[in-house]
Amino acid sequence: MIKWLLMLALASGSAYAATPRQILDSLVAQAGPASAARGEKLYRGKFSGGKTADSCTACHTDNAKAVGQHVRTSKAIDPLAPVAHKDRFTDPEKVEKWFKRNCNDVLGRACSPQKKADFTAYMISLQ
Amino acid sequence: MHNDYRITWKHLLTLLLAVGGSTLLITRAPAHDQANFPMPGGKTYVDECGSCHTAYAPGMLPARSWRKLMAELADHFGEDASLADPRRMEITQALELLASDGSQATVRMRRINAAIPANAAPQRISETGYFKFIHDEVRPSIWKRKQIGTLANCIACHPRANDGRYGEREIRIPQN
Repeated sequence: MIKWLLMLALASGSAYAATPRQILDSLVAQAGPASAARGEKLYRGKFSGGKTADSCTACHTDNAKAVGQHVRTSKAIDPLAPVAHKDRFTDPEKVEKWFKRNCNDVLGRACSPQKKADFTAYMISLQ
Repeated sequence: MHNDYRITWKHLLTLLLAVGGSTLLITRAPAHDQANFPMPGGKTYVDECGSCHTAYAPGMLPARSWRKLMAELADHFGEDASLADPRRMEITQALELLASDGSQATVRMRRINAAIPANAAPQRISETGYFKFIHDEVRPSIWKRKQIGTLANCIACHPRANDGRYGEREIRIPQN
């Protein structure tokens, strides 16, 4: 009965909530073990493929726990690390949407499941 | 003689009615005096359009501007902001309904619309006549402050812009 109610609750929400750990687990299931260190290298790396920015830090700053600012519009961006902003990495659909857009904006191509897993592991590791 | 200046219940009642009446008039001032714009219902608009920039009030541009913009999202001011249907259609319809030339436009929206030439479909609100007129007191040095940065960053000074609220009393200009 409880299981049924839970499934009903999950199905009725437009985007069901997950924990950052669950989102990481599903990425690891596609990619293999994740490395927070590799994720940090990606976060701090400089790239030339994208049209909007040359790095993640251009908008999200050197500190993923800080408020960022969009390079084109100057709009303030909430911190990316879940420890600083509890909504981050809790909606699988939103996570995929922003990997798709931002990887294209910065790298000029899609990110592999491995890159996504590493990046997520780094964000979760921040305390 | 001094009887002429005596305060009576009648005087007090008149005063009470006058103060009460004025208070009611002030607190019930029509919404357009507070620069409130109708916004699309639900979360879709703010979620999809309000992540990279302010979720602009539809009433700041005519329907033809929004139609053009929503048809060219793959090259949105140089960025790929493409959006799949049905969400794209849903947002386009909401923008058209609440546009400056919509049938339910407020007095302020009509003024915004009147300053846009009928043969133009402006894509930047900041290039419309009303925007320039209403911001003419803002010094260039203020626009350059880091937290403001661009004319597109409404929400920097109008914290409730995503709710369509641009009232003068709610303006908070960042100090740096």
